[in-house]
Amino acid sequence: MAGDKSEILQGTLDLMVLKTLKSMGPLHGYGIARRIEQVSEDALQINQGTIYASLVRLMQKGWISGAWGTSDNNRKAKFYSITRAGRKQLNTEAQNWERISNVIGRVLGTAERG
Amino acid sequence: MFAWLKTLASRTVAWVSLRHVDQEFEHELNAHLDMLTDENVRKGMAPEEAKRAARIRLGGQAQLKETNRELHGLPMLETFFQDTRYAFRMLGKNPGFTAVAVLTLALGIGANTAIFSVVYAVLLKPLPYTNPEQLFTAFQANTQQGITETGCSYLNFEEWRAQNHVFSEMAGNVAHQLTLTGHVEPTVVKTSVVTPEFFALLDVKPVVGRIFSPQDGKRGAPPVVLVSEDVWRGRFGADPKIIGTSIDLDKRPFTVVGIIPAAFRTPFFTAKQEVWIPLVQDPVFSTRMPQRGSHLLPVIGRLKPGVSVAQAQAEMDAISGRLAAEFPEENSGWTVRLVPLQKEIVGDVKTGLLVLLGAVGLVLLIACANIANLLLARATSRSKEIAVRTALGAGRARIIRQLLSETAVLGLLGGAVGIALAYWGVKALSSLLPSSLPQMNPIRVDYFVLGFALLLSAIAGVAFGLVPAMFAANADIQSTLRESVRTGESRNRRRARSFLAVAEISLAMVLLMTAGLLLRSFSKLMSVSPGFDVEHIMKADISLPQFQYSKPQQWAAFSDELLARIQSDPGLQDSAVVVPRPIADLRVTLPFDIVGSPPVSESAAASRTTSYVSISPSYFHVMSIPLLSGRLFDQRDIMSSPSVTIISKAMAQRYFPSQETLGKQITFGFPPAPGVMHEIVGIVGDVRDDSLGQDPRPMVYVPYAQAPFWGANVVVKSTLSPSSVAATIRQEVQKIDKDLPVTDVAMMPDIIEASVAQPRFRTFLLGLFAAMALVLAATGIFGVISYSVSRRTNEIGIRVALGASRGTILRMVLRETLVLTFAGLAVGLPCALAASRLLGNMLFGVSASDPATLAIVAITLAAVAALAGYIPAGRAMRVDPMVALRYE
Repeated sequence: MAGDKSEILQGTLDLMVLKTLKSMGPLHGYGIARRIEQVSEDALQINQGTIYASLVRLMQKGWISGAWGTSDNNRKAKFYSITRAGRKQLNTEAQNWERISNVIGRVLGTAERG
Repeated sequence: MFAWLKTLASRTVAWVSLRHVDQEFEHELNAHLDMLTDENVRKGMAPEEAKRAARIRLGGQAQLKETNRELHGLPMLETFFQDTRYAFRMLGKNPGFTAVAVLTLALGIGANTAIFSVVYAVLLKPLPYTNPEQLFTAFQANTQQGITETGCSYLNFEEWRAQNHVFSEMAGNVAHQLTLTGHVEPTVVKTSVVTPEFFALLDVKPVVGRIFSPQDGKRGAPPVVLVSEDVWRGRFGADPKIIGTSIDLDKRPFTVVGIIPAAFRTPFFTAKQEVWIPLVQDPVFSTRMPQRGSHLLPVIGRLKPGVSVAQAQAEMDAISGRLAAEFPEENSGWTVRLVPLQKEIVGDVKTGLLVLLGAVGLVLLIACANIANLLLARATSRSKEIAVRTALGAGRARIIRQLLSETAVLGLLGGAVGIALAYWGVKALSSLLPSSLPQMNPIRVDYFVLGFALLLSAIAGVAFGLVPAMFAANADIQSTLRESVRTGESRNRRRARSFLAVAEISLAMVLLMTAGLLLRSFSKLMSVSPGFDVEHIMKADISLPQFQYSKPQQWAAFSDELLARIQSDPGLQDSAVVVPRPIADLRVTLPFDIVGSPPVSESAAASRTTSYVSISPSYFHVMSIPLLSGRLFDQRDIMSSPSVTIISKAMAQRYFPSQETLGKQITFGFPPAPGVMHEIVGIVGDVRDDSLGQDPRPMVYVPYAQAPFWGANVVVKSTLSPSSVAATIRQEVQKIDKDLPVTDVAMMPDIIEASVAQPRFRTFLLGLFAAMALVLAATGIFGVISYSVSRRTNEIGIRVALGASRGTILRMVLRETLVLTFAGLAVGLPCALAASRLLGNMLFGVSASDPATLAIVAITLAAVAALAGYIPAGRAMRVDPMVALRYE
């Protein structure tokens, strides 16, 4: 259910999906999952299926759109692409993320020194 | 950001096409699996192995689909439906519990809704006029004379109206009774005498015809009248042609110019007015229009938009200052007081109504505590079900939500039945409402009141459901699943149940105390002697049209003749004429001076007033008011003989404390001749002339022959039936003048009853609520104790087996009851004392902390609680140890 503890993780995943779609252009679920794994140098081993919950949420918010198409090796797949609202959201979220991670970094840094 | 709205929209769309969504998602997942498999094959896996690895990588498909469904659908709504269905099923399985809970709640909500409908109509709902918040009453006040609100003179009103810049309109409005003759049997109609701006100010649209125009208020204008829709339909058959024809008021023709809608209520007057005439046409008030010193006209004004009360007050202060400078004799010391119209109309009923609303709210609280208690008991027996649910993966929030759904359904069921009860209750209330309660708005269960009831039942449902639900959700699964019924109730839960029982008792104590005080004060009020004999006294009114009977000599002659005729009837010898009658009529209060006494300070002089009554000689005899010294009035006391007066004991004691009273002379300013010296010829017993609750005030009586009125209010002492007395009086009146109506025939005991209608209403309702509270609290105690006994059957069995006597067991259970009861009383005592202080001046002859009432209340509660605990205790006593030990 929405509103439980995995909220932060969900948000992070959504952000990564948006970022991936922005830099890679239209991509299917499998492609997005692969890309995230690659970029994170397999540090982030996700259950690839969880990507779909993220995709549904982003679709519902209107930040990405989806359409059926054909993949490189001729398979029918649903391709997702980032919308204008999605780009805007990504910018805001990315800035937020930066700020928060800065703060957290600083807090943890001081904690260590102290 | 409308993201959530978009989400909701897309979810709603998806929800209605879930099958399609499922299929599409399956395709998508399959494509993903294929691609993963392809990759694995590329990495060199065997096809079967590659497929398996792909599945693992993707994660459980069934779960993914379930998540997908949840994300797409409206899960809140779905679980809501599910929970509601389940709730109904659970409630249906326990019809006894459901019936008790719904009924308890329905009584609480029904009573609350009914009382609230009265509070809403009287106190909260805006007055039924356009922009009612702009409406104010402008009273004259005189602090030196201790007068806080009275009318102003017509001349002052004209100045106010012309000089102010804060009111868009001002109008005067005073009540009168005129006699309608001609078309029908002569009747007295309730007349509002108004300045012509009145209807425009209140924005009244006539049903037919027009409202008053400024011309109608000018001197010499043809007399016009507005008739209420009720009179128009009742007496004139709703004939639209009545406009332009004339009707006779006090035997003078008035042209009907319009019909006023039945829903219109004239401000200030609780009774519905029947006709309206311009001030200038009124036989009494028009003569006083040129007197600047008169205070006949209560004024209402409509503030201009954007003008604050403070601005208006400042402006009116400036105007009264100018008037005081210009006409010092009549206006010095007089100021203007602005009061919002609604506040003025509501008057002193506010406290009483709010006390009732508070009391009925407490009843609902007790009802909720009771149901919460039942639920807690049930939750204990349901703890296994909850534990199983938790074990199967239901989260804490989910369990709470499910349990709350059940109580919410319970709450709404109770609310529905309660609203039905409220409809009936409002009908019953309407017949009980004192006629003095201002009803500008009709009292009924309208949408607002319905909304209140629904809100109340929703809140109640959550209020009594939350605690049990939290307990249930917090339970430790492991121990619960292992636990057998034997181990008894968890400690916390028991504490919560005890807490609720204690709360119920203390709330019930508050209600019983306030009801007890009101009851005692009411019985004191009813046992108070009014100072005259009430039994077999009847009254009837004959008012004389001013235009035919314009001279005081005519009034005196009329009443002499009437009284002679009535007294000649064998059953009606004991009759008298008196204006005004005690309690039945409004008092006439006058300042007075004692001739030859040293002048007193201005403030003392201002507060030196007396009630003034004009009587025929037989009055004291008819009313059995004792003569204490001196003589009564007799044939000697006529217009041409020296003016005399008889004073009351209170007057004699207060103003002639240590001196010979008889023979002294006093003056008081009332027509026909102010300033005339009246010799005191007698002293009579005190009479409560205002109301039973007011101590007797100083009174002066004068002979009717020396101070006649334009009407003859008759009192008769007779054992004949009221209808035959009325018939005789009517017959005799019409022998003198066939166009005179006899009105307001009533029995004195009924008038006394009516005068205590408000306290009776309060006392009755509060007593009813207290009784409900007592029953609820008793059931609460009974529930707690009998549940505790049934949980402890096993333990009791062991005790008995080990040799405990029945007496010991009985004492053990009773002790539990009494501990709860005394805790409740201890908490309730300060609350009850605080609450009774709110009753304030509603109490008569009994103090807010009356120890006797307190003792009776405490003993009653303790006794009822002990009784409620004794029944289960008796059951515990008879427990058979063999059965109990096997009891599961």
